[in-house]
Parts: sequence; structure tokens; C-alpha cells
Amino acid sequence: MRWFETPNFDFIKAQKIAYTFSGALIVMSIVAIVTMGLNYGIDFRGGKEYVFEFDNPVSVIDIRNELSAPLDGAPEVKLFGSNREILLRTDAEGEVSDVRDLIISTFATMYPDYTVTVQKTDLVGPRFAEDLRRGAINSIFFALAVVFIYIFIRFKGWYFSAGAIAALFHDVLIVLGIFTIMAEIAPFDVSIDQAIIAAFLTIVGYSLNDTVVVFDRIRENSIIYKTMEFRDMINKSLNDTLSRTVITSVTTLFVVTVLFIFGGEVLKGFAFALVLGVILGTYSSLFVASALVVELQKRAMKKAKA
Amino acid sequence: MKKQNNGFKLGSIALFLGLTIWYLFPTVQWGLEQRHMDSMTETERIRYEADNAERLQSLRERSLSLGLDLQGGMYVTLEIGEPRLILELAGDFADEELEDIISVAAERAFDTRNDFIDEFVSEFERRDPNAMLSRYYRSDAENITRRSTNSEIASYLRGQRDAAVTRAMEIIRSRVDRFGVAEPGILQQGTNRIIVELPGVDDEERVRNLLRGTARLEFRMTAEIDEINALREQVANYFQENREEIEERGEDNLLDIFAFQGRTQYSFGYAAGPDTARVNRLLEKEDVQRLIPRNTQLMWGAREFASDAGTPLYEIIVVRSQVELTGDVITEARVAFDPTTNAAEVSMTMDSEGARRWSRITGANIGRPVAIVLDGYVESYPTVQSQINNGRSSITGIGGVRDAEDLVNILLSGALPAPLDIIEERTVGASLGEASIRAGLYSILFGLSVVAIFMIVYYRTGGGIADLALLLNIIFILGILAGFQATLTLPGIAGIVLTIGMAVDANVLIFDRIREEMRGGKTLRAAIDNGYSNAMSAIIDANVTTFFVAIILYSFGVGPIKGFAITLMAGIVASLFSAIVITRVIVDYLTREKTAVVSFG
Repeated sequence: MRWFETPNFDFIKAQKIAYTFSGALIVMSIVAIVTMGLNYGIDFRGGKEYVFEFDNPVSVIDIRNELSAPLDGAPEVKLFGSNREILLRTDAEGEVSDVRDLIISTFATMYPDYTVTVQKTDLVGPRFAEDLRRGAINSIFFALAVVFIYIFIRFKGWYFSAGAIAALFHDVLIVLGIFTIMAEIAPFDVSIDQAIIAAFLTIVGYSLNDTVVVFDRIRENSIIYKTMEFRDMINKSLNDTLSRTVITSVTTLFVVTVLFIFGGEVLKGFAFALVLGVILGTYSSLFVASALVVELQKRAMKKAKA
Repeated sequence: MKKQNNGFKLGSIALFLGLTIWYLFPTVQWGLEQRHMDSMTETERIRYEADNAERLQSLRERSLSLGLDLQGGMYVTLEIGEPRLILELAGDFADEELEDIISVAAERAFDTRNDFIDEFVSEFERRDPNAMLSRYYRSDAENITRRSTNSEIASYLRGQRDAAVTRAMEIIRSRVDRFGVAEPGILQQGTNRIIVELPGVDDEERVRNLLRGTARLEFRMTAEIDEINALREQVANYFQENREEIEERGEDNLLDIFAFQGRTQYSFGYAAGPDTARVNRLLEKEDVQRLIPRNTQLMWGAREFASDAGTPLYEIIVVRSQVELTGDVITEARVAFDPTTNAAEVSMTMDSEGARRWSRITGANIGRPVAIVLDGYVESYPTVQSQINNGRSSITGIGGVRDAEDLVNILLSGALPAPLDIIEERTVGASLGEASIRAGLYSILFGLSVVAIFMIVYYRTGGGIADLALLLNIIFILGILAGFQATLTLPGIAGIVLTIGMAVDANVLIFDRIREEMRGGKTLRAAIDNGYSNAMSAIIDANVTTFFVAIILYSFGVGPIKGFAITLMAGIVASLFSAIVITRVIVDYLTREKTAVVSFG
């Protein structure tokens, strides 16, 4: 079987559409993040989180309402996989187990015949959460810096670095935006926690993979076709590697989709971020990174001439 | 030349495979043992475990361990209270100025991420550049005198802090060992944090008390009965007289949540368990504090004394501020049983110095109660019947044997040098862990099959070779994890699944390159040679960058996320090896005849 045997798409020409598309997504993401705020999970916000399992279906809305008074404020309640399991997040004060007992005693009056078991408890102190948040932000920026430097050294041109970083930034920002928009409507937990940061860094790694393979081909082609226009050479490189880009994206998309479907409730948000990341990463390395490199190189040349 | 080259490749494959089997063998054996033990009856199993204890222990230690998120258990991060420690090190030299400096430094250390002690010293020097820290700190043992410089004292304080963390870890280890957890993990994080991992533990409350109890044991006298009565009346009156005002402010009134009547003459009153935090808030009010004489203190009882329709009731006891005797004098503690009621109690023995003082205290206070206070809660306040000369004392009124055992455990492992705060606590139930393992296994199986089938359909023979490499790749990853004694976590399994998808990338790069070379008119052998060598730089670049990202993830991440980063790294190494070396050997073998045909689709 062969896909894209000898393709000849004009990727650079498609950049206008790509820029509009990406621009719209980025604006949407920024607007969502600014207006709705990032939906931090327990790791970055602190508080207490529990997963309860009942032997019969329960109502999320009833639980939220009934618990508002005893917990001094409505807790966040979400179904966790099935309608018999719930994830509950609260900022109520007191010991984790005292709060848990308080919640369970409320359940006992709401659902007297049900049995409930505690599947998972998380307590993160507010200061520790702050620590984790800073660590996460640092790690993302640190990762981008390392990538910038490596590409700069290997490909000897800051525009390669800048193009790659811009594409990565693009991917992470849009995934963040989608997570923010979905905060209220997603049927699974899409809050930003440590696992999501791990997913982001994986996306960075993955998207970079694609981009670097294209850059590598550009480097190779620039030696073979010395006289070719920079723009055409990049386009040729994109076409040369297209088949590989698509195949790897397909296999990776396969596994992250499997993870999303079969990986269990704990990994849902993480796997979802990866699914989005793989799609965006492939798109950005085809349409964003290289187009930006051409753009930046053109400007750099102009400046050099002037 | 070529043959020799492949000899080296074959050798390295054999070596790698051998190492993997060597490291994974205990894991397989351990799995078989567990299955074997599951089939036994309870008594058979206990017998078997006892007979083979050493062998089983060594197997368990050498096998690939599962993270808490997979086997269930409890994960706690504790932080040592540096500000308290630094304040207490000053001892009697401490004053309000020092307290103020410490609290400012604590705030700043948090904001700036700097070491607390550095911030403390710089804040001290900022206030008065000529001031000497020796004003507050002396130590004969560490040779810290009036003439010690500030930097000498700073390093002394740092040393004390490090010693406190080390000591706290030892104490926690001893408490956890007595608690009986298989394979507990206790490690230091940064300068002032301790991580405790307890697989299979689900009794959070017990563990929490065990970890956090500083085990500061004190013996204090209770206040006089008429003093207590007067105090109770005054406080009750205050809330009675200000009832309307309090209501206007929308605050709680102590009279509504607290019963101003003692279970004994020495108790101030009692409240229901859920109300205790609110009671504390009200009692801390300045107006109320003013009513309490300087030499007395209100302290909660450590345990419920009764329950009202299922709600536990706790009493407040009025004790003297002065501490008569501290827990340092305790040399032995054990669980004992009251001869008449058969209730569990903790019996303690003191050293000679303690016994002498205890004799004096009990002799002077016959007929009055002594409060035994642990970590700020009154464990019990038995009335002194007669002078005690043998240094014996006991804590009674303990819930059950298990509580008594925990108390003995805490007393025996010694006092923590500084308070520990729980800043992170996670528990995973065993059933959720099992569900996660199942989900992880399904994901690996499905992911592997989908990718394997796709590769064969798309690349034919080449795909089949890549699939074989992929299979070995997964085994290598597990081998690397076992070899480095890493822990397999749920994100780690996710990492393996992800690696399945990404590992074929190197082969995709190579096979696409081979196809390209063949399109250019090269023979199969030449195309293969060129394909491998031309694809190499792209493979290296792509993997090096991903590896960097994994390293960053590892150094930033905590717990399970670290597991993800490790599998990602292991996956990169293993997939490079299997995609480049193993497939090459197989492809070369298949094309050893000039006329051989290998399809790359």
C-alpha cells in the first residue's frame, strides 16, 4: 500500500488559509483563557478531591446542592466514568478524612440504601499547589528553551528555531484553549493538572519530531539542490517527508485514541490532550512551522540586503 | 567487513536481550509465586510465606514494582516546619523581634523560592547590619558562642535543619516499620520535605496521626477546681451578655455549640466533633483570651469521651501552662491491660532522673489529677492516688488495643525534632488500582495490535519486521525499568502505549527512504543500505530532542509523572535500538542472497 507516493502539494501557498485558521484558533483560545480562566485541577489549585463509587446511579446536581451547606460552598461534582461514580472537589477546611466522613454522612441521608466506597483521595496544600504550578510553568518554558538551542545548533539558523518554537507554542496554546472551553461541557475531567502538563511536554516532543524530520530534509535538499529557491526547497522537503509524516501520525493517533477509549477514567483528560496534540502537531509541522521559516528567512534576507 | 559488522550487532542484541531477561526474570517468578499463593488457603499461605520468607522478600525487591496508583496505597508529602525549628533553637533567647523576623523570612522564602535560612539571615541583617545572630543562638556542642559570626551561625542552623530532616526520616521509618507496611518508600525531597509512600495502606487517619505526631509528651497539673468553675462562668457570661451583638455580626455563639458543663470537675465543657474547629475560633477571640489566666490553658481531650446519637463528643480540660515533666524521661512504653476492666492502656517507665522528679510531683499532689499531654491534646488526667517512686505512669482511657499500640509506637520512636505538616496526600483504593492496571493492559494490547496490523498492511514484509522489533521493544522497556529499579505507574503504562505509536517512526523513516531510493532506480541491497544511512540523521535529531523533553519532564515531575518520563526515555532508547539494529540484522539476513526479494510495500 502506498499513500502520497510522490506528492506535489504547495504547502507554502496554503499558508494564507493556514494562518487564518491557526489565527482564529489562537484568538479563540486566548479569549477563552482570559475570560473563563484556566481550569486548574487539584494539583495546581490545592484543596481536596475524592472519587466515590456507589452501587446505584446518583445525581450529580442533587449531590452538589445537598453538600453546599455542610461544605461551606458548593463542591465541584462530576461523573467519573459511569453514573455510579463521582469525582468531587472541594475547598472545605478540615482534615481530609473529616471532610470525607462529612460527605459520606450526607450521602447516607440522601441515598440511605446505597453503599458507597472511597476510590481515591487527594489533598494538596495551597502552598504546595503554588509550588507545583510554578514548576510546571518553568518546565514548559525550559523545554522550549532547550529545543530552541538544540535546533539552533543543529540547523544553524535562528529562523528554524523560531519556526519550531512558534509551532509548539501554537499547539500547546490551542490545546489549553480547547480544555478551557470544554471545562463545563466535557463528560470527563478536563482540568489542568500535572498529568496534562506531562501531556503538553509530550506534545512538544511529538510535534517537534515531525518538525525536525522536515527540517532535516530541508538541510539535505539544500545541499543537493543548491540553486533552488528557499521556498521551493522547503515545499519539496515537506512533500518528500509527507508520507512518513502521515504514517507516523496515523500510528500515533491510533494509540492515543486507544488510550483515550480504553485507558480508564484516570487517564481520560491526559489521553484527550494527546489526541488533540497529535492532530495539531501534525498540522502545525506541515503548515505552520515551515511556512514561518520561509517567512522569517525572507525577512532576514531583506534586512541583510538593506 | 559487512559480516563483522553484523557480528557486532548480533552480539549487542544478544547482550541486550540477555540483560533484559536477567532483570525481568524475578518479576516473572514473583508473578508466578503470587498466583501460586493465591491458590492456597489462608493457613497454607501463611505457612508458605513464613517458610520462604527470605526468598520471597528478595524476589519482591528485585521485581518490577507497581506504583501506588496501580496497587493502591497512600502517598504523603511532609514538610518540616523550619520557622518553628529556628525559633525553638533560640530557646530562651527568643523574643518578639525574632518571631517577627522569622515570619517575614518565611513569607519571603515562599515568594522567592530561596532557602528559608538564607532569607532569615538576610532579613536579620537588613534590620540591623551590625547585629549579631549570636544574640539568639548558642551551642556548646557545635562551638557556637557569643563571638560566632553570622555566617557561622547560618551554617550551624542549616546543619541543625538537615539533622532534623534526617532524624525525622529515621523516626518516620521506625514508625512505619512498626506499623507493618511492605515496601514502604521514605525519601527526602529538596532540603525540607519528606515523601512517604505506603503501598496497600488505606487507613489514612491512622497513618496521618502516626506520621505527624511530634510525640511531645508532657505531664502537667490541672487547674484548681474553683478556678475552673470561675473561668467557666466568666466565659459563659461573656457569650450570654453579648448574645445580641454576636448575632448582629452573624457569628456563632459558643453557647449554641458548646456545653458549659464538665464531665468531671476539671473539664471546662464539651462539644460535638464537627463543631470543635468553630469552638476553637471562638475561644481564640481576644475578649475570651483575656478571661483566661496566664498560668492556665484550655486543651482538648485527645479522644471522644462519649457520643451523642453517633456524633462523638470531645471535652476541654483546664491545665496549668507550666510543664512539670517531658517525655524525654520515658525509657520504655508498652501496651498493658487494666486488671479489673481489661481495658487497654499504655504503661510507661522513666529513667532515674525522671523517676526522682515524678516521685516529687506525685508526692506533692496526692488526690489531684495530672494531665498527660501528647502533641497538645490531653491523653488522660488520672488522679494521683499515692506517691510513685518507681517511675511508672500510664495513659488510660484509650479506645482499643490498636490505638494503644499506635501510641506506644509514637512514644518509642522518639519525638520529632520539629513539627511536620502534610502538604500533599493522595490515596488510591485497591479496586481503582486494579481497574487502572486492566485499562492499561487493554490499551497496550489494542494499541499494539492496531499498529502491528497497519504496519503489515502498509509495509508488507518490512512491516512484519518492524512489528517484531516493536514487540522486543516493549520487552526491552520493561527490562530497562526493572534494571533501573523504576516503578511502573499508570502514566508509565500510558508512556509505553505512546511509545508503541512513536517507536515505529524510526522504521517508517527508514522504509520510506528505502522506497524512495528504489524509485530512484537503485537495487534492493543498495536501497536498503542508503535507506538506513540516509534516514539516520533525521532519526537521531528527532529522538534527541524528544529525549531532552523527557529529561525535563523527569526533573520537574512528581510521583507518577516521573514514571511517565522514565518510560518515555526507556522507550526512546529501546526503540532506537530495535528499529535501527534489530530490523537491520533481519533485513540483512533476508537479503543475504543477491536474488532475494523483500517487500517494503
